[in-house]
Amino acid sequence: MFVFFLTLVAAAFVCLVIQHFIPPLAFLENARVFLMPLVLFYGALSLPFGVMLFLALACGLMWDCLTAQVLEVGIGSVTTPTVEIALGWSILLYAALGAVMSGLRPMFRRGRWEIHCLMSGICTSLIVLVEFLMISVRRAALYEAPIVFTTGIWWRIGGAGLVALVLAPLFFWVLGSMAAFTGYNPHSKAPGEE
Amino acid sequence: MRQLTVLALVAFLVIVGVLFALGPAGTKKVQSRFQAVIGPFLTTGWHVEKTIAAVRGGLKTLDQLETENKELTVHNKELQAVNSTLRDLETENNRLRHALQYRERAAFQLVPARIIARDPSSWWNTVKIDRGFADGLESDMPVLTEDGLVGKTTTVAKNASTVLLISDENCRIAANIEGTREQGIVAGERASGTGMPLIGVRFLSKSANLRVGQKVYSSGVGGVYPPGILIGGIREFKVKELEGYASLTPAVDLTGLEDVFVVLGNK
Repeated sequence: MFVFFLTLVAAAFVCLVIQHFIPPLAFLENARVFLMPLVLFYGALSLPFGVMLFLALACGLMWDCLTAQVLEVGIGSVTTPTVEIALGWSILLYAALGAVMSGLRPMFRRGRWEIHCLMSGICTSLIVLVEFLMISVRRAALYEAPIVFTTGIWWRIGGAGLVALVLAPLFFWVLGSMAAFTGYNPHSKAPGEE
Repeated sequence: MRQLTVLALVAFLVIVGVLFALGPAGTKKVQSRFQAVIGPFLTTGWHVEKTIAAVRGGLKTLDQLETENKELTVHNKELQAVNSTLRDLETENNRLRHALQYRERAAFQLVPARIIARDPSSWWNTVKIDRGFADGLESDMPVLTEDGLVGKTTTVAKNASTVLLISDENCRIAANIEGTREQGIVAGERASGTGMPLIGVRFLSKSANLRVGQKVYSSGVGGVYPPGILIGGIREFKVKELEGYASLTPAVDLTGLEDVFVVLGNK
């Protein structure tokens, strides 16, 4: 299991690198393609809850390291550095969604592969939505900028989920093969698991 | 097993708590270390992307080649006609177009950098460049091209840095408008993305008499951006409840950007 966990962390890192080179999808109002969450969600279904938490920790930390912004807030030369969204929020978000996926593990163990696809789509959209809400609330406080939802924003949130839904079967197959290669059975019950 | 799960949960919460407690300096340090790790992978990815693009660019169908051949024949005749008149301008034109010569002309001490990756997220507008503190870069240094302002550096690692683009809502630049006494703050819009940059000037007076195409320059207030750097041209002016707001067309094509300069200071 430990080898498979490390494989998933490495796969998440590779997906994060690849994500940088996938342009926004113009036909979906510039929605982005998210690959790393697909790895996390597969891990949430195939690993015990405790191990899933550490996968969420690794994925969330990598994401926060790329996106967290340190801002100089204040007037004129009197400014103080502030972190817009602190390191750790994505970890909590990923862990919460991973926990929801973990709850569906019994169905996954029975061979219901479509659970990964459907939930990957929904949860990816939720990640983009929560990120938007977090920056909106934060910026409303920093710049008194209002929270506005436009059609483009909804498309970007939904589009990310749609793309995840389409890509999920491929990830399911690739990560399942990786599990077999590392000698881990993703459908197995962890000791003491109900 | 249940005990192990509880133990994992406690350890998880402790680590997250420690991360939450990191201040701005700690956050930048962690980001810088991660950037040093991911930087070489992004550079390799950039080389792979360029190679693939070059191979794809070289592959054409017979129909495309035939059309291209016809176009080139016509173009060749046109070029022969104008060639003699353009010969004198050739040297100067090349000099103006060449990015390194901009560096020589500029009043600033510049470091050329290449964009190796674009932000993979939905709501933040940043790019990664292949220069870091080993080249003298620090955070909050302006980034520009010969066409205008691009943004500023934020996280700086040894050989890679993150540049916050002017299309990001967090990138705020004090600006003035050509031919007027109007001053405002340029910032990106939240719905802006690396594929669709949207920027505007806030806090203008409601009675500002602005016209489409008027240029917007950095005013130098705030200290990060030098004065007189072109940011963009006015596309539309709207009067809001408390202020005037002008949406801008960025001077620099932020979607197709490949090479930039980081301003280290004045010459």
